[in-house]
Amino acid sequence: MDFILPLYKNALISPEANLFFAVVMGFAFGFVLERTGFTRSLHIAETFYFKNLAVPKIMGVTVITATTWLIIFSWLGWIDLGALFTPKTYIWPYVVGGILFGLGMVMSGYCPGTAVAGLGSGKSDALVFLLGLFGGAFLYFMLYPMVKDFASSGNLGVLKLQDLFGGNEYTSYILTVILETGIISFLVLLQKLTNKGEK
Amino acid sequence: MEKKYWNPYFGGVVLGTMLFLVFAIASQGFGASGTFSRATAQLLVNSDKSWLDNAYIASYFHHGGSALNNWTVFETLGILLGGFASALLAGRLMVKPDKAPKYPLAKRFLWALVGGMIVEFATRLDRGCTSGQGLDGMVTFSVGTWIFMFSVFGAALIFSPLFRKQWVEDKEEEE
Repeated sequence: MDFILPLYKNALISPEANLFFAVVMGFAFGFVLERTGFTRSLHIAETFYFKNLAVPKIMGVTVITATTWLIIFSWLGWIDLGALFTPKTYIWPYVVGGILFGLGMVMSGYCPGTAVAGLGSGKSDALVFLLGLFGGAFLYFMLYPMVKDFASSGNLGVLKLQDLFGGNEYTSYILTVILETGIISFLVLLQKLTNKGEK
Repeated sequence: MEKKYWNPYFGGVVLGTMLFLVFAIASQGFGASGTFSRATAQLLVNSDKSWLDNAYIASYFHHGGSALNNWTVFETLGILLGGFASALLAGRLMVKPDKAPKYPLAKRFLWALVGGMIVEFATRLDRGCTSGQGLDGMVTFSVGTWIFMFSVFGAALIFSPLFRKQWVEDKEEEE
């Protein structure tokens, strides 16, 4: 079967057009990040004190929405899910890198994408955070000879939920929706329990 | 007057639809952390060609040309412009930092700088940030992405008491 989507992988748009769409879609992404308050380090950090759950709510609904569109288009035979870029699984680097990322995120209140939109909206702490990113990259380049073996350890290649739990992409889709819905509901419940009497 | 922020569930539906469109067009999702690693590599190589001896930096130049000739770099430029346009139209465009009202600004900037360094270092191990690894990987059902996400949010919760004063204005204990 000939899939139409994704356009770029199927060579239906030129590399130049793809870069043009990169700017357009980036613009839309930055616009919505600002509209939803993701440009505020305070909003992101407040997640971890159960003061404001907008961040996990948006992320969860974003994943459910995007993956629902993808599964419908795949079912109709319009998109080749196998052609979509999927990150490989490196167990130990993701555990250690994830812990470092979480520490840096609650310390700074930003992640790279939200800070770029934050800078656009005038946040001075976002600018300082972005300067830090250059420093972090430099540090990684310097330490690369020492960390490179660890960085590629626990490599399982592209591993999808259906490879682990059996079934097909529909199984993974249902699992993803259950996980996201469960996480949002659990956090909302925790917020009610921890913030008795508060807003 | 400042507009209100969008309802999070509505925002999620809009963002999710855009994430689908990006995959349908570009075959990949949103990202940002790679841009700063590439920019750092380009700056170093511009200052001294011998930086190309570093295998990680060299990987950005295998195709010839600039390390910045990359999809995510162009998309990041769009994010900056989009954030600016939205803040302008919502009446929220102003230069100021975010923190709990009484928290000292110098300490806020120090944590932002150090946090930024830790985050970008971590994204090299993680092959992306909460967008390029997190959102994109959850949407494509990657097992590793879920390991990453639970590590990130678990660690942020565990370390959060250390930074509480920066973010939360606790009421003074009454005498």
